[in-house]
Amino acid sequence: MEGYSRNGEISPKLLHLIPQGTRRNWFHDDQASVYNTEEKKLELKLGPPGEDEHEDGSSMLRHIKKEPKDKSTLSLAGKHFSPSSTTNKPTSQKRTAPGPVVGWPPVRSFRKNLANGSSSKLGNDSTSNAVVLKNQKCDDDNGRAMTMEPKRQGGLFVKINMYGVPIGRKVDLNSHNSYAQLSFTVDKLFRGLLAAQRESFGEEEKPITGLLDGNGEYTLTYEDSEGDKMLVGDVPWHMFVSSVKRLRVIKTSKISSALTYGNGKQEKMRS
Amino acid sequence: MSEDDEDQSPASDLRSQRPCSPNKSRNCISSSQTFPDHVLENVLENVLQFLDSRCDRNAASLVCKLWWKVEGLTRSEVFIGNCYALSPARLTQRFKRVRSLLLKGKPRFADFNLMPADWGANFAPWVSTMAKAYPWLEKVDLKRMFVTDDDLALLAESFPGFKELILVCCEGFGTSGIAVVANKCRKLKVLDLIESDVTDDEVDWVSCFPEDVTCLESLAFDCVEAPINFKALEALVGRSPLLRKLRLNRFVSLEEVHRLLLLGAPQLTSLGTGSFSRGDQSQQEPPDYAAAFRSCKSVVCLSGFRELMPEYLPAILPVCANLTSLNFSYANISPDMFKPIIHNCHKLQIFWALDSICDEGLQAVAATCKELRELRIFPFDPREDTEGPVSELGLQAISEGCRKLESLLYFCQHMTNAALIAMSHNCPELTVFRLCIMGRLRPDHVTGKAMDEGFGAIVKNCKKLTRLAVSGLLTDQAFRYMGEYGKLIRTLSVAFAGDSDMALRHVLEGCPRLQKLEIRDSPFGDVALRSGMHRYYNMRFVWMSACRLTMGCCKDVARAMPNLVVEVIGSDDDDVNRDYVETLYMYRSLDGPRKDAPQFVTIL
Repeated sequence: MEGYSRNGEISPKLLHLIPQGTRRNWFHDDQASVYNTEEKKLELKLGPPGEDEHEDGSSMLRHIKKEPKDKSTLSLAGKHFSPSSTTNKPTSQKRTAPGPVVGWPPVRSFRKNLANGSSSKLGNDSTSNAVVLKNQKCDDDNGRAMTMEPKRQGGLFVKINMYGVPIGRKVDLNSHNSYAQLSFTVDKLFRGLLAAQRESFGEEEKPITGLLDGNGEYTLTYEDSEGDKMLVGDVPWHMFVSSVKRLRVIKTSKISSALTYGNGKQEKMRS
Repeated sequence: MSEDDEDQSPASDLRSQRPCSPNKSRNCISSSQTFPDHVLENVLENVLQFLDSRCDRNAASLVCKLWWKVEGLTRSEVFIGNCYALSPARLTQRFKRVRSLLLKGKPRFADFNLMPADWGANFAPWVSTMAKAYPWLEKVDLKRMFVTDDDLALLAESFPGFKELILVCCEGFGTSGIAVVANKCRKLKVLDLIESDVTDDEVDWVSCFPEDVTCLESLAFDCVEAPINFKALEALVGRSPLLRKLRLNRFVSLEEVHRLLLLGAPQLTSLGTGSFSRGDQSQQEPPDYAAAFRSCKSVVCLSGFRELMPEYLPAILPVCANLTSLNFSYANISPDMFKPIIHNCHKLQIFWALDSICDEGLQAVAATCKELRELRIFPFDPREDTEGPVSELGLQAISEGCRKLESLLYFCQHMTNAALIAMSHNCPELTVFRLCIMGRLRPDHVTGKAMDEGFGAIVKNCKKLTRLAVSGLLTDQAFRYMGEYGKLIRTLSVAFAGDSDMALRHVLEGCPRLQKLEIRDSPFGDVALRSGMHRYYNMRFVWMSACRLTMGCCKDVARAMPNLVVEVIGSDDDDVNRDYVETLYMYRSLDGPRKDAPQFVTIL
């Protein structure tokens, strides 16, 4: 498919793919609801830049015809999605396959990452950014704190732990657009838990600030796809999102030691 | 390995809830005036305790009130196929001496993100009720339940004789919960975490097992995505003389497996090999892995290979001849790597693999594994538009070589009717047939026709078929076949199939044993839904998402069937007045609608 290279890397503009109204096409075909139209204006479809956007996903038909020929002598690749094979059926019934869909093929999330080469020993957790493109909205979507919509795609959940708090949480990076937003979410997620851990008497919950600039008591760091630990905030947002595997909030005073030792966690466990 | 293992007998625990409405004249109590009640009860108890099968017990409990009562006293193993079919209180009122509970929660389509998180299926009310009622509880087996660390803590504290914890496709807990169980359940024999989402709380749970000799017989943590303390694991294996099954996660390297095998290999019957790749010591000479496997004289079940380094695969050759179960489904193995291995596996009955072994690999399986009962082929690259390394050729080969096949799960890009027809003739023992043609709406890629005849042949010729999942281009005709021939079908999965309401009607009117129906993205609407109303009380659940149901019709059904809980699940931008029903999930219940439904669920 154009715009999607075989090794799974995606150009950032395709991160938020798939029209939300896709699954409803059967029913709402003839209803131009405001919701659907506005959504369609915002959506990005699979395809090379500058391609026309057609309502019913017929841009997909062009892609289908470019399918590699299969082994059989009769190559019927072009026929697969042709609506003409079902001319007796009502037209509101979409027989074409309009694009990747939630939960299809029906493979559980932990089986979805094999093609991305989870053979790194550095503990890729099962969140994989590239899988966003693979008709699966997110892998670790069973994060306890998060509710999600079955139709929406592109949720990217990464685990986040905070020093001093035993329970980890999860953050949907795709619902954030900036570091500031992320910082705000981290504060929201952990403020209460941190206060509970400190067992402070009558003290109000302190907001967690200065995560990005080194001025606060805590600093936000992350582990990228190569297992390296980095400070959050140095690279453009979209680059960060495409490489982050895991987040950690550490004490600012411990920055230099935390970032120097690569496989920090594994070393501790094995000793 | 238990991805969707199905129970054998129909689940009709609910039917026996009627405290003997029929036949007062057959009431034993009134007819046996000569014997005091309690003597009769004791006799019955002593007899009924030998009844194991759920089916038999359900039947016995219907005889009369006395039998119902005594059966309730003697049932020690309870199966609940849908946690919302009854309340925990009803369970503890009816059955007084339960030792073992098997509880299932979310519907299967929740695994594929068709249902938002936080839908429910909470274990909490169950564990808190049982904590008071069943102090002698020994075994809990949960599937698709939401279990928190607090639940696990309560479990660990409440049941002093607790022996077996099995969590399949569960979530909501982490390594801290596991640590509590490990620490407090001193009689623990089985701790099996299977395909569950376990949060890494960075707790060294392996060290939490008690210091003395343990009762552990089975420890499975291959799904736990967190490093473990290997030294502690080694010590644990060293003091667990009864350990037979050990399934390691991918954070255990080959060298570490080697060390574990040196400790306890001869007793092990089931081994999950972890990553099957070397750790950091790539410079050193590798130890003799084959020798370690040679000492695994009892291993019959092998799995793992999570990050396989293929050059070490031949190390497992010594155990191949004994294997009855082999799971390669995490390993991207090419046909050339695969063939020398499978060539030795003559006794293999259960085989799971990725489609990377290609049709060629399947042909090798067909040539060697004459005892094969269960085959599952998963896609390495689960997209719709790829070339696909397995096809009808592989399936044809399997059907010709493995005549005893009973259960099939097969992901492919293309299929032909001819291959399915051949399989229907060659494999008459098939009870489970699940074919996923990943490209939606794909016809037979040789003839261009719909896949109706192929699936039709399967339902017609495989007379023992109880579970069916269909895919590819299917018209109403396929469903006509299902209704006509699928008389034993209990579970049916449909996606992107059918032309009209008639298709679903054929199934609802023709399949008397249907228990579980899951449908997505198919053009079935109100007429079809109404046509099944005579069936729904006899079914465990019906799931229909992205079909053509209207709110009005669902409300009608809910009104007409008061013991049916009709849930409409949507996102928060659907308001209740909107007519389109995104997802319908309905099930019978003895205790009415649940109280813990989240905001996005509307119970009609």
